[in-house]
Amino acid sequence: MSESALDRTARALDLVPYLLEHQGISIAELAQVFGVSEKQINDDLILIHMCGLPGYTPLELIEMYYEDGYVTVSDPQSLKKPRSMTSSEITSLLVSLDLLKSVRSDSIADEIEALKIKLKSSLSFENPYVVVVDSKNSEMVEKIEAAIVKGNALKIVYLSGQKDETTERLILPLEIYQANSNTYLNAWCQTSMGDRTFRVDRILSFETSSGDEISYTPTTQQHKGGISNIELVVSKAARHFIEENRAIIESVEDGDVFQVKLHPIDVEWLIRTIIGFGSGIQVAAPKVLANEIQERARAIRALY
Amino acid sequence: MSDRKTERLINLTLALLATKRYLKKSEILSNVAGYEGTQEAKERMFERDKDDLRSLGIEIEVGDLDIFFEDEPGYRIPQKSYELNVPNLSGRELALLSIASSFWNDSVLGPNAQSGIRKLQSLGIPATLEFEFRMKYRFDNPSELLEQIAKAILQKSRIKFAYDSSSLKLRQLEPYRIVFWNSYWYLIGMDVDRKAIRLFKLSRFLGAIETSKRKNEFEIPSDFTVADHLPKSDVEVIHSSKIEIRRETGALLRQRGKRLSQGSEYDTYVINYENERIFLRELIWHGVNVRILEPVNLKEELLAIVDGVLA
Repeated sequence: MSESALDRTARALDLVPYLLEHQGISIAELAQVFGVSEKQINDDLILIHMCGLPGYTPLELIEMYYEDGYVTVSDPQSLKKPRSMTSSEITSLLVSLDLLKSVRSDSIADEIEALKIKLKSSLSFENPYVVVVDSKNSEMVEKIEAAIVKGNALKIVYLSGQKDETTERLILPLEIYQANSNTYLNAWCQTSMGDRTFRVDRILSFETSSGDEISYTPTTQQHKGGISNIELVVSKAARHFIEENRAIIESVEDGDVFQVKLHPIDVEWLIRTIIGFGSGIQVAAPKVLANEIQERARAIRALY
Repeated sequence: MSDRKTERLINLTLALLATKRYLKKSEILSNVAGYEGTQEAKERMFERDKDDLRSLGIEIEVGDLDIFFEDEPGYRIPQKSYELNVPNLSGRELALLSIASSFWNDSVLGPNAQSGIRKLQSLGIPATLEFEFRMKYRFDNPSELLEQIAKAILQKSRIKFAYDSSSLKLRQLEPYRIVFWNSYWYLIGMDVDRKAIRLFKLSRFLGAIETSKRKNEFEIPSDFTVADHLPKSDVEVIHSSKIEIRRETGALLRQRGKRLSQGSEYDTYVINYENERIFLRELIWHGVNVRILEPVNLKEELLAIVDGVLA
């Protein structure tokens, strides 16, 4: 199904100011951010490239460069600023904030309320949505999140959802989510050597563990064993690498770019992932990894 | 075809946005790229384009030109209304919004929140990564109806819908608020036929909603609050049950309950529950290790579920 000219226009008008603030972004990431295919983004860019102000000489056209899948805008003409938000966008964000508040501890509640007031100031009507907070166990959630962020293992006593018995398990927490009034934790379970989902309210007790015994690798592919002391330089444009792979990240230093240290991990997965980010991620150490990535990239290049 | 129209709409937006003074229609038709054909065709095209841009929420101001320009109207898009302006939004707040907007893996709110956040991310506010929040929200109960109901609430238009209930099927409602509660979407409003404020679960709506063409058909009472119309989560809704639990089993149930007596094979517990459906699942999950003694209706419900499996 082809989309309407109107939807495309809306996206194009949003693309230009977004590009202006995300110079050098990859088409792959744009596609992800805008929720369309890379081909669609390509087509959009070609179209935008031909638009401009009356006169339509090169001086009056929207000026942008795209090279090797990365896009830069040098002259947006009159599209410097994003369009104001629609009422649906504002109300959706307000509900999102209410939802965030409902699962977070009270310490951040005031901040969220203040933010809502800021957004509401551009709203000329009342918000039709209301989020009612039910019970929450934010203390436990926050401890688990901290473990996810730091990549810590947890030793838990769990009341099984499968066998009606309590077991002691060593787990590496990976992902936590709320669904149907329950909070769930996806984790690698060292005890049963597999990925498991736990209900947070059935975790009877837990303590942080060094994780030395954890042998988790985020892939089922063949692997060459873990390499330690991996350091990456991740550009702002590639920041979702960090956001999506918290489980393997030891530390992040923010600056013009992100300096990222990884836990020892399976490099096969990492190599393949890093190549996909193009210039967005540089391997600062170890050298062998950087070399390997170069070699792989060259091999890919040699196909053409 | 779609390409040409898109291009023309973008060019028109750019031109109307760039101008400080009003642009005459004749100027637009002859200068903005994409207007082709007879004069009449061009004008029709321009009228449609204006409507299209307005439907995107873009304000096109119509102004009188200098009297020397005869009485041709002029057009422009005021920058102030076009451009997003959220004063003093910090990087920390933007980060909070990004986290919040990523909650929606489904429902119409997802795309809307995403496009909203994209615009905010185009403001040039340096983002931060300071939150350790990892918790996501997963919606198992998305609703396609949200947008339409929200619109009806804003316009104060009545809606008609079929509702899955034992009594009245067809409802006419003055919609007040959409409520997310206990992981479900509800609608609270004035039931026109029953003349009372009622709560409806969106997952029980049958088929499409019909929104009245008229606007401002009702007022939301000034003393209306959502909390007054949700089932109370204290005494009223908490039910009590008497359950037998086989020895050495049902640790989770035991934890929540109060033991009444101990037997050789079963222990008897009093267990309170709020949500019958969830409680029943929990009980059934325990298989032959638990047995409901009271109340009778709970037992019947459980049997109905089990029979449903067998049927």
